[in-house]
Amino acid sequence: MKRRLRAALVIARRQAFETALAPGLYVTLALGLLLGFFLVSGFAASVDSAGFNPTLNPLYDMLGRSLAGAFGSAFVGKLFAEGPFLFALVVSFLPVFLFLSISSVFRFGQEKTAGAVELLAYGPADGTSYIVASFLKDVAFTAASLALITAFLGAAAALGNLVLGPLFLASLPVLFALALAVFAYGILCSVLSTNASSALATFLGILLVFLLVLAGSLSMASASVRTVASVAAAVLQWISPFFYASLCLKAVQGASAGGVLGGIGLLLVLAVALLAAAHLAISRRGVRA
Amino acid sequence: MKRLIASLLLLLFPLALGLAEVPVRSEQLIWTMLAWNGRDYSPAFAPESSDTIYILAGGDNFLSARKTLVYWWPLTSEWKTDTDSLNVQFPGSLELRDARGSLKRMPLQEYTYFNVKGEYELNWNVVTGEAARQELEKYARLYESYFKAVQDYQGKNAAYDAEMQALLVRIQKLRDEKKDTAALLERMQGLQKPVAPEAPSFYVVPPAEMQQAFILNLSPGSYSIRLVNPDGTVMEGSEKTVVVHERLRSGGVGFEVIPSDKWTRPEASVTPSSVLYVNGSADLYLRPFFEDEFNDLAYEKTINNAARGNPNIAKWVRIQQVPHAAIEVQRPGAAKSLLAESPFYVEQSKGSSLGYTIVPFDAQGAHKGKEPNLIAFRVPVDTNARAISFHALDSKGEKLPGSERQIRVVGKAPSAALLIVLALFPLLLMAALLIIRMRAYSTGSIDKS
Repeated sequence: MKRRLRAALVIARRQAFETALAPGLYVTLALGLLLGFFLVSGFAASVDSAGFNPTLNPLYDMLGRSLAGAFGSAFVGKLFAEGPFLFALVVSFLPVFLFLSISSVFRFGQEKTAGAVELLAYGPADGTSYIVASFLKDVAFTAASLALITAFLGAAAALGNLVLGPLFLASLPVLFALALAVFAYGILCSVLSTNASSALATFLGILLVFLLVLAGSLSMASASVRTVASVAAAVLQWISPFFYASLCLKAVQGASAGGVLGGIGLLLVLAVALLAAAHLAISRRGVRA
Repeated sequence: MKRLIASLLLLLFPLALGLAEVPVRSEQLIWTMLAWNGRDYSPAFAPESSDTIYILAGGDNFLSARKTLVYWWPLTSEWKTDTDSLNVQFPGSLELRDARGSLKRMPLQEYTYFNVKGEYELNWNVVTGEAARQELEKYARLYESYFKAVQDYQGKNAAYDAEMQALLVRIQKLRDEKKDTAALLERMQGLQKPVAPEAPSFYVVPPAEMQQAFILNLSPGSYSIRLVNPDGTVMEGSEKTVVVHERLRSGGVGFEVIPSDKWTRPEASVTPSSVLYVNGSADLYLRPFFEDEFNDLAYEKTINNAARGNPNIAKWVRIQQVPHAAIEVQRPGAAKSLLAESPFYVEQSKGSSLGYTIVPFDAQGAHKGKEPNLIAFRVPVDTNARAISFHALDSKGEKLPGSERQIRVVGKAPSAALLIVLALFPLLLMAALLIIRMRAYSTGSIDKS
């Protein structure tokens, strides 16, 4: 166990080094921060003597209308009640989150196909070490990215006399735990698929289904669409990280610290369960593509 | 030429009327509701196309089945009823079945509703049965005595006018005869003009004529209802599902925020953790209110069955203004100050600048005989006030939990150039890393192979 962990740390360090040398991480981070900047400055420009008025800024006018049309004005009211930072956090994190998850899935598939993972397994490492290494690398970059985004948004808040807000601060660990569960899904897809393309397609498909189910049950669609979405949600929500994240955010709004911690705990349990499933799968199937 | 155009317009005008779009009315069996919404009552109806009625637990809801005309009104994008053309209420009883299958028959009951002026807002009241009859009798007595007082006044006024006229004639005559009029003048000055009685002001909206409805006051859950005719048959198309929802939380404190330059566009701060971001160009007038939290979809459907809402979102709804509250304000570097509730009057701006000005209500001076438009707390705000914290106190001076808010004055764009540089920091870091790597390669400290 100790040897496996040591091997995983070595592989993770190597993978992290390679990721740090490639431009993808920096480009997606910069893109996320720029999007965050536009959202914060757009919010500041949408404030008049009466408060936040989305119609004053074209970006927020469009966003407000789209979100209100899909999820209702109560949703939009809650989203921007404390300022722009909750929405800015999600939008800023999205590019780097997608980059990290997609690149890990693709890389795992490619290295498996090329025999690199098999080669590692001849040494002191095994398939599980590789899985853990990939996960640890994503965890480290996610934590660093969230820290950077928070620092940037904190600077924007300080410069613009805005506040990050309690919902923003509570959303940080939720977003982090959500990312872990999604990364675990990526690893499971990589283990179960034969090549990089199929792993990526499976991973993106699963993400899309979870997102659609969540959006369907959250949206103000007609009763029939809502019924279909709620039936799908009843089946899929228990394995969907987005469902547990939405539970956390509901608990935040209900001022239930226990609910938030419980939701984060469930996200971590889901991540561990998925990693365990990946470990079992790779132990049985082997590391050969 | 002008005459020709005028004639043409006259000829074309009836055509324009003929081409005007008339909403298509369809005859439907609908359920009308006077629905309890947590603070008062909302009139609503469920057309044939709607299979679910949403009502709130903990209050009487008045339902009746009737045949009327329903049409879509595009100007306000809502379904409306044309009860002037057709409005037939069906007699019978309501059959209510709960989720466990228990059946209950309910008869039609009499009720009336009215509105009385409260200290801060209007109060709708609904009374049923004997109380409704008594309310209508009270209203009738009130107006009977008023009309009697008016008749009395008119009689006294006529007598006063007649006596005045007679005195004037006599004074004129004495003057013509060059006689002393002092006694008559004294008598004339001593005459008291009768005072007109004031119309009863107790009711803002008087009790409506006696109505009949099925009164539902149910615990949360799902029920099914249908109308049973007096002959025992079931009215076809009257089956509906009734969803009874309850408030999720209560006792929250929200604030109505009225900027002095936008009296007609008040905002509300309903989320306890929300921040009031303003640009500091106008003072704010605050009104704290108690609020309850409801499911968005269920609440919206309660007050308008055709409305849309989000079933997964809870929303705060204003219930009533906090009576005799106070607001404690804290500015950075200053001692806490207590704001008192004050009356204000909204005056239309004079001159070319349009709009309104909110001024303190002067009961003895400029606004004598008028009512204040606004009873609120004035919080002076300017661009120098970066952050102002406040919370509400109740009538006993105790802090109301959940009433803490912050006013933040924001600029147009928060240091855009600096933030863009910060946003591009990862790219700068990447460039630095690449340069370091390139230098390392060129110096040979990294093996190119």
